[in-house]
Order: sequence, then structure tokens, then C-alpha cells
Amino acid sequence: MALALTYNTSHTLVRMRLAAFRHALQDQLRLTWIVTGGFVGLVLAGGTIWVAVKGDTDVLAVVLAVWMLGWVVGPLFAGGGDETLKPEYFTMMPLSPRTLSTGLLVAALAGVAPIISLIALHSLVIAGANVVAALVAVPALLLQLFCFILASRLAVAVYGVLLQVRAGAVIAALVNAFILAFTAQGWALIVAFVSTDVQGTMARAARIAPSGWGLVAVEAAGRGDWPRVLAALAGLVVLGVVMLVAWSALLVRRTTASRAGGKVRRPLGGTNPRSGAGAKELRSWTRDLLYGHKAVFAISYGLFFCMMPLALGWKAMLPWAGPAAVVMAAAMSANLYGADGTALWTTLMTPGANGPDVRARQRAFLLVFGPITLVITLLLTWWSGYAGAWPLVLSVLPALLGGAAGLVVASSVYAAVPTTDAHKRSGNPLNSGENEGETMGIVYVMLVLVASTCAPALIAALNVGWWGVPIGVLSGVLAWWYFGRLAIRRLDRRGPELLTLLRHGRSPAEQARKTAGLDALPKWKRTMAGLCLGFAAIPLFPQAVVPAIFKLTGNDDTRSWFLALYQTGPWQWVVIVLMAALGLSMYAFGGLTYYHAKKRAPGASVAAAAG
Amino acid sequence: MTVPGGKVFGMEQALELVGLTKVFGDERAVDELSLSVPSGSFFGVLGPNGAGKTTSLSMAVGLLRPDGGTARIFGVDVWREPTKAKALVGVLPDGLGMPERLTGREVLTYLGLLRGLPEDEVGRRTAELLEVLELDHEDDKQVIGYSTGMRKKLGLAVALLHAPRLLVLDEPFEAVDPVSAATIRTILHRFIAGGGSVVMSSHVMALVEQLCDRVAVVADGKVVAAGTVSEVRAGGTLEDAFVSLVGASTRGADGLTWLSH
Repeated sequence: MALALTYNTSHTLVRMRLAAFRHALQDQLRLTWIVTGGFVGLVLAGGTIWVAVKGDTDVLAVVLAVWMLGWVVGPLFAGGGDETLKPEYFTMMPLSPRTLSTGLLVAALAGVAPIISLIALHSLVIAGANVVAALVAVPALLLQLFCFILASRLAVAVYGVLLQVRAGAVIAALVNAFILAFTAQGWALIVAFVSTDVQGTMARAARIAPSGWGLVAVEAAGRGDWPRVLAALAGLVVLGVVMLVAWSALLVRRTTASRAGGKVRRPLGGTNPRSGAGAKELRSWTRDLLYGHKAVFAISYGLFFCMMPLALGWKAMLPWAGPAAVVMAAAMSANLYGADGTALWTTLMTPGANGPDVRARQRAFLLVFGPITLVITLLLTWWSGYAGAWPLVLSVLPALLGGAAGLVVASSVYAAVPTTDAHKRSGNPLNSGENEGETMGIVYVMLVLVASTCAPALIAALNVGWWGVPIGVLSGVLAWWYFGRLAIRRLDRRGPELLTLLRHGRSPAEQARKTAGLDALPKWKRTMAGLCLGFAAIPLFPQAVVPAIFKLTGNDDTRSWFLALYQTGPWQWVVIVLMAALGLSMYAFGGLTYYHAKKRAPGASVAAAAG
Repeated sequence: MTVPGGKVFGMEQALELVGLTKVFGDERAVDELSLSVPSGSFFGVLGPNGAGKTTSLSMAVGLLRPDGGTARIFGVDVWREPTKAKALVGVLPDGLGMPERLTGREVLTYLGLLRGLPEDEVGRRTAELLEVLELDHEDDKQVIGYSTGMRKKLGLAVALLHAPRLLVLDEPFEAVDPVSAATIRTILHRFIAGGGSVVMSSHVMALVEQLCDRVAVVADGKVVAAGTVSEVRAGGTLEDAFVSLVGASTRGADGLTWLSH
């Protein structure tokens, strides 16, 4: 009976999810994000399978650990992970928590990310040494997939509990920052404390971690070590059940928790529009635990990332902790207006408020991250003892701070991602609506953009030493002023459109209008533009950027499918340049076609009607 | 009866909408809507769900850009001179967010300062508004913890803070308890008596009949009737007039047999 109910619930929830997914596909922009994400995911899945084909199971174990890590940490960047079906929708259904969570888990499988992970996990079948091992791989990979998804859901639920109290928000931030820094710099800790055989240690650890149990089962089956096969598979089952039970318990807590903010300590004051707006913005950072969480995360990420090599006594990275923290902070703050949602109407209805509001957001960002990153930079550079690093970091830091403070408001206005209004949000404090792909994409774009704002200062510092400092300060001030002005002007001109976007999201009706111009194009042109945008990444990244990096870093032994590396001498660079040009022209053709079509579409952007 | 879009001669218009149009995809949510609200009137905008009330009011105050038509507040074009127009109007939108991490007092302080009011004036007005609306004991509560009714009351305080000449209120009485509703009614009557004008949307007939001196009935994005309450009512009740104007028949008598136990 209970089983039948669970089956029916799961079936219905899967149908609901697929229906929502079909609607998402109507949205051109979301479709683009889904396709891009899917493409990147497929490349990664292909890479995982390739590792299995090569038969390097040690590497495979580590790669699988990275997949699981992606599922656990990903939601932090992707606005709380997929929340198409919120548990809150079903609170009034006479369903037991267990039935509901099982149903939600099954529904969670019906998405792009689980399918890509499923493809990647087929590496287990390939890693099987014989037919029996390949057969064992089938239940192993399914259990492994369930564990990935459950771990992700459980992690989101745990963030949910932690982010209700200040200490929890700080702990979650520290743990996340450590994990993420460890993926890049963890080798140093391993060498220092475990063994100089980094790869061996990592492979061993990756087999002990749950993400490796499927592989352990497959390997054991290949050797005929059946007790081990059973132990590994049973381990996955037990872990899955434990995570499911824990998740159900947290779901109950989530759907019955209250959302009220904490007690107010320092009431807001101020004497004029400027100080009033500043005081309000600073309170977002100190009172909203999600803001605080992101701030602690960014700073501790910078620290961990640059301090882990200390384990080996290597101090050269120390001076860069501050700049790294600034870049991460900016990427995490790229959607300020989206996060505030429709509260935008309050400034929109106040004459002349856009200027003070934008500048206040910039000042608040600088106040939160400026002093602390400066102190970190000064202390760690002094500790590192590299005298040569002083002009570099002191040029780069002001440039980055200004660039970040400028770009966060510009991206918040120009590339706002609609989120669910705070007072209508679900119990998932990370959740920002249904645009997880877009949210994550902007994080990546911002990492690159913000980092590039220090280029002039860095080049100057490398060439003329201390003269880089005034250039860094100047470029920082310019970026702060210019990007801030861009944001203010845009708000003055297109404020109502931004509010409409935040209020209604991108509705199918709006999409219909946006694509109206596109529909007028001949079909071949539309198809060409779509294909160009879809596949331009292939010549540009794997065929141009990656081989270029390989060549610059002197990596000569891997050719794989990089066409350029099969050439000789200067021809390699010719191929790289040709491929880059091809990719860029494809982007340009596709982009321009869409741009002109959009310009021809009638009217500006609008959204669904409200009564 | 006022002809929609026409001027009532000799009277200043607090709000004048001419030919406002908004198209969403294939749907004309608001279709050449025209409306005149004489200065000093308490104007009710009635209409069934989805008639275009919120869309029209949003376009009237500068929150949603129209595809066609004009909106003027005391003669100032909202879309040509938004800064000037917005100084004249106080708005209570329906269901929009607030600076959630501030307390009610802080929201008013912040928005008052942002409007350029002097600090002590902001403090005085804020204290009075909070006291009258019975929000003065909520200083330890951030807006995110407010109930729907409290949010409405705070929204009204925001609309009143800069002493506008026109109030545009979208469903101001929704989710508000009877005692607070009586308070709000008193405040609005005093506002009118003090020379202000009010435009309010609602679908509660009794309320509109009791409060407003003028009404407009909106259906399918158009004004189907406008004038004084007694003109629109035409001898019957406002509810009867409304049902016949929007061309709906009340349902619910047939079907749903499975509801009987």
C-alpha cells in the first residue's frame, strides 16, 4: 500500500517536473543556458568515460569524487540547486515525509544534470575488467547516481539548517571554502601530511569516499573478490537509506520552520539620501545570513587557496589571498538587484534615488571587502617575505576592488537574474528561483571579468614596478565610477523594465515577442545562427584555447583530439589561430543574427499580465 | 457621467490616463484605457480578476512602461517627466517586495532620507505613521517576518510618508484586519479632506460603495463604465451593476455533486 502510494506520488511528481521542464524550454534564454550547461556536462562526461577507456582507474576514482563534490557544492553557486518542485508545495498533501522525499528524489532524476551524471557513470561499465564486472557495474552506477543526488539534496537541506543561525552560516562558509580550495591546492596538504605519493593517496582517499564505492565494487568483481563487491554495494545502499531518512527529517523541519529575521541590533540612521542608502545596504550584509555566508566564503576561500601550499613551506602564493578573495566576492555578489527582487519599486518610485542606491551598493561592497582584503594582503605579503611581490599586489588589489565594486552593480543591473521574492521564498535559503543555470553562468563570467580588471595594473607593475600602484588605484577608481554610472543610467532609463523582469520573470509571452523578429528570418538563417552559437565553443575552446595552453605550458605528450597538436612546428599555431578565428566568427555570426532580429522585434521587453 | 478620456471642465485632474495600452504577446492586457480622476475625489477602480487593474495602475504611476497612451499626474506626464510626477504621488503596489532586512521604522527612515526629507522630519513622520497604523511595537521585527496585513499597512505608510497629493493604492484593504481597516479608512478620509486625491483598486463592492465617490469599472482592459457611484449604480446595487457590466453570470449552482457527503 505504502509502496503503491510512493510509486504513484513519484510518477505524478516526475510528470510535474517534466511539464515544468517543457515550459522552461519555451524560454529562449533559459534554453540557451540549459543547452550550454548540457554541452559542458557532456564534454565532462565524455572526459570521464575517456579516462575509463584508458583504463586509469586511479584517475577515474578521483574524477568520480569530483563529480560528487560538484553535486554537493554546486547548489551554493547555482542558487540552491534545482527546486522545480518545492517541498512546500506538498505540505497539505496527506503524504508521509518518507513518501514525499522518495517522490521528490525520483522526480529529481528527471533532469539534465542527472542524465549527464548517468552518462559519466557509465565509465564504471567500461572500467569493468570482464563481463561479470560490467554486469556488477549496472547496479553500482545506479546506486552511485542515487547517492550523488541524495548527497546534493541533503547538502542543500543542511545548508538550510545552518543558514538559520549566524554561527551555522559561518561554519558552512568555512567548510565550503575549504573543500573548494582543497580541490585545487589539496595536493600540498597531502604531500606535507600524508605521503609524497600524491596521486596514490588521492586515489586511495577517493576509493574510501562514497563516490568511489561503485568503482570499488566493479574492480572487486573483476578480481572475483565477492565479499568486497557485496560490502561496497551494501555500503551504497545503507548510505542512500541513511541520507534519505536524514533528508526526510530535514524536509519536515524546513516546511514547518519560520522565516522571520533575527533581532535587530543597530537601528538604521542617516542624515541624507547618500547615508540612508548606505546604511540600508550595509544592513543587508550584516543581517541577511546568506550575504554574510557569501562574504565569509569568499574571504576564507582566498585564504585557504593561497595558504594550503604553506604546508610545503611554499610562501609564494600568500600575497595573492586578498586579490583572490575580492574576485570570488564579486562573483558571489553579481546579482544584487535580483536578490532584492521587486523591492526595486521603492527606489523606482523615489525621484533621484537610483544614483544614491547604486553608489551605496558599491560602497557597501568596498566596506565589507576592502579593509579585510587589504589587511590580509599586507600581513600575508609581509609574512611571505617576497619583497618583489609588494608592488604587484599593491597595484592589483585597488584595481580589483574598484573593478569588482563597479562590475557587481553593472552586472546586477544589466544581467539581473529574476529570483523569488524573499517573502515568498521556500525554506531553502540558497534558492533564488528557477534560473540556476543562469546564476551559475554569471558566477563564471564574473570570475573572468573581475580578474581581467587588474590587467592594466598588473602589466604596469610587472614592467615599471611601483608605478603600477597609482595605475592600479586610478584604474580602480575609474572602473568604480564608470561601471557605477553605467548602472545608474541603465536604471534611470530601463528601471521599469528591470522591475517587470524581477516581478514576472521571463514569461513565454515576452519570449514570443522577443523571437518575433527571429521568426521573420528565413529558416536556413535561423538554423545557421542556432548551430553557430551551439557549436562555436568547439573550435574556440578545445581546438584553440586548450591546445594553446598545452603548448604554452610545454605539455607535449597529450594530443587527444586536439587537431593543432598533430601538426608540426609553426603549423600548430596556424591551426590554433584558424580555429580560434572560426569559433569567434561563429559566435559573431550567431550573435549578430539574433541581435538584429531582436532589434526588429516590435516594442521593448514585457512580461505576463497581472490583474 | 464622465466620458472616458474626456476632461471634466473646470476641474483639475489628479490623474488622467489617455489611451493606455499594454500588450503581452498576443493578449491586449490593457486596451486603449482612458480615465479621469478629478482632484479631490476618492476614486474606485473595480474589475474582475485579470481585468487589467494592476497593469493599468502600474502604468499610471511609472512602474510599467505602456506600449501606447499617456498618463498624467496633475498634468505632469509620468513617462516624460518621471521625477516630477513621482514627487506628487504615493503608491501602494500589490504583492511587491520591500527592503526585507530592515524593520518597519527603518524602511520609512531609509525611504524618507532617500526622498531628501530632513532627518528630524523623517523621524517625526515615521513615528506618527507607525503609531497610527499600530506598527510601533514591531521594532524588533524585520519586514521579512511581517504578516501580509502588516506589509499592507507598512506599504500605506510608505505611500503617505512624503505627503503626496495623490495616492494610488492597489487592493489596500486585502488581508487587513477590521480594526486596521477602520483606521485606514479614517486616514484616507482625512487625506481627502485635506485636499488629497485617492485612486484605489478593489474587488470588494461594499467597500468601494462605502468609500468612493467615483468609480470606474474595468473589464478586458477597457473602461466599461465610469462616473459617480450613483451614476454607475443606476438605481440598483453596485454589485448588480458590476455583474451586468462585466457580462459575467454567477456560477456554482450546477455540478460539483461530489462535494456532498
